[in-house]
Amino acid sequence: MARHWLIIFFLAALGFQVRAQSHFSISGYVTDSATGEALIGASVFIQEIGKGVPTNTYGYYSASLPQGRYTLVVRYMGYADLIRAVNLDQDRKLNLKLSSTAVVMQAVEVTGERSKSQVESTDMGRMDLDVQKLQTLPALMGEVDILKTLQYLPGVQSNGEGNSGFYVRGGGPDQNLILLDGATVYNASHLFGFFSVFNADAVKDIELIKGGMPAQYGGRSSSVLDITMKEGNNKQLHGQGGIGLISSRLTLEGPIINEKSSFIVSARRTYIDVLVKPFVNPESRFAGSGYYFYDINAKANYRLSDKDRFFISGYFGRDVFNLNGNQPGSPNFKIPWGNATVTGRWNHVFGPKLFLNTTAVASDYKFSFGGGQDQFGFSLRSGIRDYGLKVDLNHYPDIRHNVRYGAQYTYHIYTPSTVEVNSGDVDFNIDTPSKLRAHEAGLYVQDDFDITDQLRLNAGLRFSWFAHIGPYREYITDAQGNTTGTFEHGSGKSIAQYNGLEPRASMRYTLNKNNSIKASFNRNLQYVHLASFSSIGLPTDTWIPSGKNVKPQEAIQYAAGWFRDLKQRTYEASIEVYYKDMANQIEFAEGMSPQDGGNANYDFGLVYGKGWSYGAELFIKRRYGKLTGWVGYTWSKTERKFPDINNGEAFPSRWDRRHDVNLVAGYELNDRWTLGGTFVYSTGQATTLPVQRYFIEGRLVSQFTARNAFRMAAFHRLDLSATLKNKATRTITDKGTGETSTVERKYRSSWTFSIYNVYNRYNPYFIYFAQESTTGLEGLQLSAKQVSLFGILPSVTWNFEF
Amino acid sequence: MKKGWRKNITWAGTWFPLALLAVFLTACEKDITVDLPQVPEQLVVEGTIEPGKPPFVILTRTQPFFSPTNLNALTNMFVGGATVTVTTNDETWVLDQLCSNLLDSASVVLAAEATGLSPSLLAMADICIYTSLNPAHVGVAGRTYRLDISAEGKTLTATSSIPHPVPLDSVWFKLAQVTPGDDSLGFAWARLSDPDTMGNGYRWAAQRINRRANGERKDPYYISPLGSTNNDKYFNGLTIDFSMIRGSLFYGGNLEDNNAERGFFKAGDTIAVKALSIGQKEYEFYRSYEDNVGSIGDIFSTPANAKSNITGGLGIWAGRGVYLDTIICVP
Repeated sequence: MARHWLIIFFLAALGFQVRAQSHFSISGYVTDSATGEALIGASVFIQEIGKGVPTNTYGYYSASLPQGRYTLVVRYMGYADLIRAVNLDQDRKLNLKLSSTAVVMQAVEVTGERSKSQVESTDMGRMDLDVQKLQTLPALMGEVDILKTLQYLPGVQSNGEGNSGFYVRGGGPDQNLILLDGATVYNASHLFGFFSVFNADAVKDIELIKGGMPAQYGGRSSSVLDITMKEGNNKQLHGQGGIGLISSRLTLEGPIINEKSSFIVSARRTYIDVLVKPFVNPESRFAGSGYYFYDINAKANYRLSDKDRFFISGYFGRDVFNLNGNQPGSPNFKIPWGNATVTGRWNHVFGPKLFLNTTAVASDYKFSFGGGQDQFGFSLRSGIRDYGLKVDLNHYPDIRHNVRYGAQYTYHIYTPSTVEVNSGDVDFNIDTPSKLRAHEAGLYVQDDFDITDQLRLNAGLRFSWFAHIGPYREYITDAQGNTTGTFEHGSGKSIAQYNGLEPRASMRYTLNKNNSIKASFNRNLQYVHLASFSSIGLPTDTWIPSGKNVKPQEAIQYAAGWFRDLKQRTYEASIEVYYKDMANQIEFAEGMSPQDGGNANYDFGLVYGKGWSYGAELFIKRRYGKLTGWVGYTWSKTERKFPDINNGEAFPSRWDRRHDVNLVAGYELNDRWTLGGTFVYSTGQATTLPVQRYFIEGRLVSQFTARNAFRMAAFHRLDLSATLKNKATRTITDKGTGETSTVERKYRSSWTFSIYNVYNRYNPYFIYFAQESTTGLEGLQLSAKQVSLFGILPSVTWNFEF
Repeated sequence: MKKGWRKNITWAGTWFPLALLAVFLTACEKDITVDLPQVPEQLVVEGTIEPGKPPFVILTRTQPFFSPTNLNALTNMFVGGATVTVTTNDETWVLDQLCSNLLDSASVVLAAEATGLSPSLLAMADICIYTSLNPAHVGVAGRTYRLDISAEGKTLTATSSIPHPVPLDSVWFKLAQVTPGDDSLGFAWARLSDPDTMGNGYRWAAQRINRRANGERKDPYYISPLGSTNNDKYFNGLTIDFSMIRGSLFYGGNLEDNNAERGFFKAGDTIAVKALSIGQKEYEFYRSYEDNVGSIGDIFSTPANAKSNITGGLGIWAGRGVYLDTIICVP
């Protein structure tokens, strides 16, 4: 298998060599004229040859062309087209500044062609979200949420009502690579999943890859969510913020050195605790209990020259949950958890054709749980910390090729669930488990190139390697699973090693100007795993490395699709089908509970199995006009099979949904009012219910049979919103001359009114069987109950900008 | 313009608390009907053998989850006519089937403890249990007992040993001080010195033996509250103090199980404590059984069946070492 790919690479490399030599390059950065923000994925189209190049994550583009005169048309969604004539008689550097259509006064000449479309690219299963538009869509309690908006895309399933966890094409929640400025975010949720950790105000670009994952990404088997933070306005100081029902946020950005260096700081905090406090009776059972979260995003950059740029960015967020059970005998808890990431980046342009990005990252996820009940004390800690270095090179040998290669290394330190229990002065003898340490490295090369005018191929190969290393205390167990002794692995000693080749390829064949077909193949290896006790994604879930018994997860995905542009790219439509095979999936054995894991290896109680998923996704999007939005429909099936679960029979996974419909629409009524609406429908979630009952010691015991054999009622919900903003411009009359002119408003504000669950449907959150009796077993009443979280829920948010 | 905004903010300020309240009130619950498939019924064993006591076995069957729960339906789950034998040291005891009309009051209490049916109702119902009337057929600590059951065409077997009991060093009552100054409600406490060998399982049972105004004992039998099963995985060889809440009759009609006294012992109570020593398989059963019973309606738990040690059926066959003690509750 791998050999074939090497041959393709070799041929591709040959391709660079045989072209003629009188070529010159045009390269530079594409930025927003008002803020200086780099524009990601803008299209630099060369009219004469009918080909374009996209800008990379830093707004850099490069095109190598035969000597001659060319017309560049630069396009980016939401910006006016920029047309520049270039005489390419030498290598040229050309930085291009686009103006946002929102602030353009004069009528703009709009060319027949519009921004780069899905039909042209080799990308499969790639989705971009427009951050600006998110703010006008309805949101739960008015909190704009990137992850929840992702769930409106076909192929992406939500983890239940109000939950920001997401599943892509049958993959688990730990199989999504979530990157914030290149740093892995391990737990992307606040408050048991109701809110994601990403503050939309600080985010510039969101990209989700659910299919043909390019070779530059690795370490996860399902999808990539790549989030890029804003760099900060490098021309003038700006602020942005909002006051909502449950939280407030504020963002400041501005130049440090004009046009050379800028910063952005964004913070938010919820205040349910502060608001609820006055209403809680201080004598009551849970007085003093509270919950809040806050997070801070910050980024700064410095442009040393056109060749060198530096960025430093960070995220820090914490959730704090206190529970004071004021009755003796009832428990007290304090549960803080959260993520922190730091990213340092250096961009260097070696020449017009070679762009280097070096990234150093540190990422930390911590969870701790301190509790007490009477004289018992209890604490539980877990976490993961990463230190990583990545070197990525973009190479633009000629207009037909876009080559990337690079290397990545990460040092992982895992703190598996560490429990301490004491009763009065006596400490229970639970070992502090050793931290787990691992090396992870990857090398990749990929080329996105035109084989013919119709056929474009993005082929890549990734080699990944992982080692679990000492120091590590391994528990030796007997046949019954009792620990009989320990073995200490020395520092730096390898305990288990894995490596593998991950071929990735996607190709596009253009049928005509508006139609193309695409196909992709990828193999992904994943060396870190999330061991999860609950089905809803709690912060207690712990990350663990591959090791002696835990094999790397593997996913192989095949996808094919048809992409079509309609009405001059006002609409784009696509159909994609996929099949995904997953091996070495992990789960806890039936009946395992968190307290069973002490004095044992970190993989105690885990069982291993496989899974598969297949489906078809339909997508129609209207990109321009007063009405924008999309309709998505997904048909899919996802199953898991574990020898030790469900008697070895295959069972539907929790996120198996046969039908999934999404509708997202925005309508600009006039220059002050924007309306938004979303509708979702999906097949009911699979759940496990007891089928029989029996009695032991006079108590009802539930007997379960097949795992996930029942379906809850279908989930559907309509949300609506309306945003009222003041006009972007105002008219000034010159008192002397009486002439009027239009100027941009410095202060702007908007109100977003939204209604969640408009028709007040009680969607099932979970089902349980209740039992009640006050007259002995003879009077036992049994009933099935469905619990729903949110009924109709109006909210209002006030946003401002200056 | 500005003035308008301020007005709006004030408006929002007034509505904040109400809106928040709405958020917390909207979570709702409703009754639904669920179609459960018919699956073959299984036999369920609840059998114990303790030192100096005859084996005691109740045989029931599983029922569809939502089948009726009236007395008639409940008594229908008892399986009579079974052949039940206990084998130890190459000696096989054939257990006697005792049906309602023949049950003595001590057996009725044991049957009530196992079934949760009230002794008075149980005396009227037509059910059978299996025990031995031969005074020589009693449990001995340290021995292993094999249970064989043949009933309704099914064969069930299980093996269990009676561990040597681990005595409690001391037992006492301590006020819980739920509300400051309260001088009546509290928990039972005990000090346990765990032997220096791994694999000791423990279970706690307690009965209030002081009497109500009507002359009945406050608890008709020993009750193990949920959370009363443990093993020495994390305290092997240590001396620890632990507290236990009062177990309720699970579906009981006792007044003190439905008010602020639920879970508490009270000054004036006399508590008969039965500390049980059990083996690993028995620990696993009782632990998973308590998890199963306690997790009903809990979204955070993954559904799991009780881990039976019975081959060919469900339930438990448990040899249990017994240590008895008494607590007089004085604050």
